[in-house]
Amino acid sequence: MKTIFEKPPGKWTVMITGFTWTLVYLLARAVLDNVKLSDGLRVVVALTPVVPFALFLVFILAGIRHMDEFHRQVQLEALAIAFPLTMLLFMLLGMLELAIPLSPVDWSYRHTWSYLPLFYFIGLAIAWRRYQ
Amino acid sequence: MKNRLRDLRAERSWSQADLAEKLDVSRQTINAIETEKYDPSLPLAFKIAELFELKIEEIFVPNHRK
Repeated sequence: MKTIFEKPPGKWTVMITGFTWTLVYLLARAVLDNVKLSDGLRVVVALTPVVPFALFLVFILAGIRHMDEFHRQVQLEALAIAFPLTMLLFMLLGMLELAIPLSPVDWSYRHTWSYLPLFYFIGLAIAWRRYQ
Repeated sequence: MKNRLRDLRAERSWSQADLAEKLDVSRQTINAIETEKYDPSLPLAFKIAELFELKIEEIFVPNHRK
């Protein structure tokens, strides 16, 4: 039986699924911010980005499986930088939360998660630079 | 680790892309090996040695050895 992992996904496939996920996320946020719904429906809307994200994740995994050893090494180093930075961010936010009142308007999960991809891209840039 | 990959490739007039295709890796991988910033795994080193019909130690030399 053929699976999605048998051949590498095209660059456009990954980009389109990533774009779809971002679009669904932004739409869900707009609905939650502007439309009055029951609590049950609000939860359903909040969870909708999971579907395109799952597809995005599958294509990323398929891409990683088809990378050669050098590119896997670069990805590993990028994550090795991004993961401690993520730990640092949440540790600091936790400590600051104890020290001073942090406004959820600026420092809730919906704001802080977007730092994680940023950390990954910082890690990726550092890892690539090492091999240039 | 030092290596002779660039010289061996030049002797055959292969581009990095040609060698990458023969070894089923990316051009960046060949570049990283040639510039000695990345040491290939043992399976890839064997593949390289096989392609050039040489022994691994005739292509790759550990830094501590002159």
